[in-house]
Amino acid sequence: MLVFAASDKGGTGRSVTSANLAYRRALAGDDVCYLDFDFGSPTAAAVFDVPGALRGIEAGGLHTYLQGKVSEPERIDVWAETEHEVLRHRPTGSGNLVLLPGDRSGGEFAVGRDALRRCVDLLLRLNAEFDLVVVDLSAGRSYAVDMALEATSRPAMRGVEARWLVYHRWTRQHVIAAAGLVFGDRGIVAGGVDRGHDAERLRGAIRFVRAAVPDPESPLWSQVPPPQSAWMRKCDQDLDELAADLEAGFSMVLGSVPLEPVLQWREQLITDEDVLASKVANMETRQALEELAAKLTDHESWGAT
Amino acid sequence: MTATGDTGTAEPVCGEVRTCLLQTSLSLTASAAEELLRLREDERVRLSERPNLHAVSPDVLTGVDCRLPTGSGARVRAIGTVAARAVLTEGRVLQATAYFRAAGAGPEQRQPWGHYLVRPGVLEPFGGLPVRAVADGILAGTRQAGELDLGAVSERLLTAVLRHQLLDQRPPFKSRRTRLRWVALRTRDGQAPSIRRFTLAADGLRTVELRVPEEIAPAAVAGLCEDLALHDWLLTTLVRMVERSRPGSADGYAVVTALRPAVDHLLHLWMPRARVAGALSPLWEVLEREPGFTRQWQTLVQRIRDQLALQAIPLPREALTAR
Ligand SMILES: Nc1ncnc2c1ncn2[C@@H]1O[C@H](COP(=O)(O)OP(=O)(O)O)[C@@H](O)[C@H]1O
Ligand SMILES: [Mg+2]
Repeated sequence: MLVFAASDKGGTGRSVTSANLAYRRALAGDDVCYLDFDFGSPTAAAVFDVPGALRGIEAGGLHTYLQGKVSEPERIDVWAETEHEVLRHRPTGSGNLVLLPGDRSGGEFAVGRDALRRCVDLLLRLNAEFDLVVVDLSAGRSYAVDMALEATSRPAMRGVEARWLVYHRWTRQHVIAAAGLVFGDRGIVAGGVDRGHDAERLRGAIRFVRAAVPDPESPLWSQVPPPQSAWMRKCDQDLDELAADLEAGFSMVLGSVPLEPVLQWREQLITDEDVLASKVANMETRQALEELAAKLTDHESWGAT
Repeated sequence: MTATGDTGTAEPVCGEVRTCLLQTSLSLTASAAEELLRLREDERVRLSERPNLHAVSPDVLTGVDCRLPTGSGARVRAIGTVAARAVLTEGRVLQATAYFRAAGAGPEQRQPWGHYLVRPGVLEPFGGLPVRAVADGILAGTRQAGELDLGAVSERLLTAVLRHQLLDQRPPFKSRRTRLRWVALRTRDGQAPSIRRFTLAADGLRTVELRVPEEIAPAAVAGLCEDLALHDWLLTTLVRMVERSRPGSADGYAVVTALRPAVDHLLHLWMPRARVAGALSPLWEVLEREPGFTRQWQTLVQRIRDQLALQAIPLPREALTAR
């Protein structure tokens, strides 16, 4: 299965959350690969703590491959190459976790026919090998999003299951922007239909993910004065209504990840060690990530809407 | 084994074969296989149904004028064509081979293309061919820019076939590709064929070096290597499937689900030597002794059968109590 991770804005939590989902699925035994198609800022490697790839690799990454300069893009075996203390000990029963990094100076580029064919070939190949292929796309209606829509519309890819996660933060602007990215005139659905996708099917394959959501009921805010607390609850409720009005409401949401202090400070994977042993991260965050990871392939979460 | 000191000079044949699961839910019938592998209008797909279904595409040629990789760093320019073909076994396992025969020596000047086109699948060096250096270069793990890359040629063909609309891209299980690089040096005077080395490296790369009598056609050598690669892929894939099924784990249903595709799609494919020219089939016997392909396969098959039998035992009892 392919999972495309999109967001209208940068800084939504798309890369960090997607990387955590990939990690959770690999822990559960799936073979997972993560493609950094965030052509503007290929940072996914930093989240997995692999050396030399902190801001994308020098050459031989996905950009170089799509431009036809290498016949296969570089692959990084995360379990083997990570510098993360905990990740280095690969748990028994876990699946492969492979990162295909972007190039450091890649940048956005127009997608020609050859790049598109290479993209299709790569996705077919990875889909043959991995249970889950997560593709992190640049923010907005980027070339990366175009390429994903175009590639999945090709006859050769008809049989490949593809799903879309659209990330946003829990604010007015973010909710509006995310809904626009999906349903707007230049949005994903419209862009997909232009390329031959069936509107209903494509809509049925898109879900929103709310990232870094503050929970007014969380212990984090238990000390705030009552007026403040009431105000937060009201905001939360208003946002729920706004989201529902914009068709980004409950039935279109795959899940939310709470505001997590560790992620606020550092882009990283949340390990069980962080939650259970050192207790720096919250149990709720781990829970949310695990549920979200399970829902990626769960039939009930993906019926047509 | 041939006598030491034999350098197997004349006209080596070199190739690379890539092997993968065909990406369809059901294996292809003979006629679908024929359609899939019809790479050229002017030549037929070779089909044979005994002892298993085996389809071979016509050769497609790629013109090259480039350096050959060499182990010594010597610069050897060669011109001619590389042949490539796709092979489908039992409508299930797809392979693409790129291969060529290197002439022992060639003209010091580039000839008109017509000269090369009447020698399909032959590369001519400028001057003499340093056979050992080229053999080492072909088998080496890396390629320099500007050197002949057989892997890229076979990959391109494999990828093109995998894009075909006949394929629903819903394979019964996930699996990886393997690559086998091979070089066959030639023997003379009735010396028997032999295997000089067979290595397994990381990333699914295998290399094999052979000695083969010079009267054996390059396509027959390619056929032998495809047969080796096919069985190596089957073993590699089955080992991984058994590992992933986590035999012994509490979840019996998961074990069955993980192993079932092996029974449905892989176990009947084991048929070493089915497609190997008679003169080359003794080479298989060597591999059967060491590393012992069939022995390992049978152990795995037995393990799978035992697991499935174990999982079947509690079922009738549960069914009885459920009544
Ligand atoms: N649940 C969360 N709680 C707090 N901060 C988060 C959360 N998820 C992500 N972040 C932080 O938000 C910032 C942006 O996240 P990132 O994944 O890089 O966004 P994007 O890929 O959308 O640009 C990062 O510093 C990240 O650690
Ligand atoms: Mg990002």
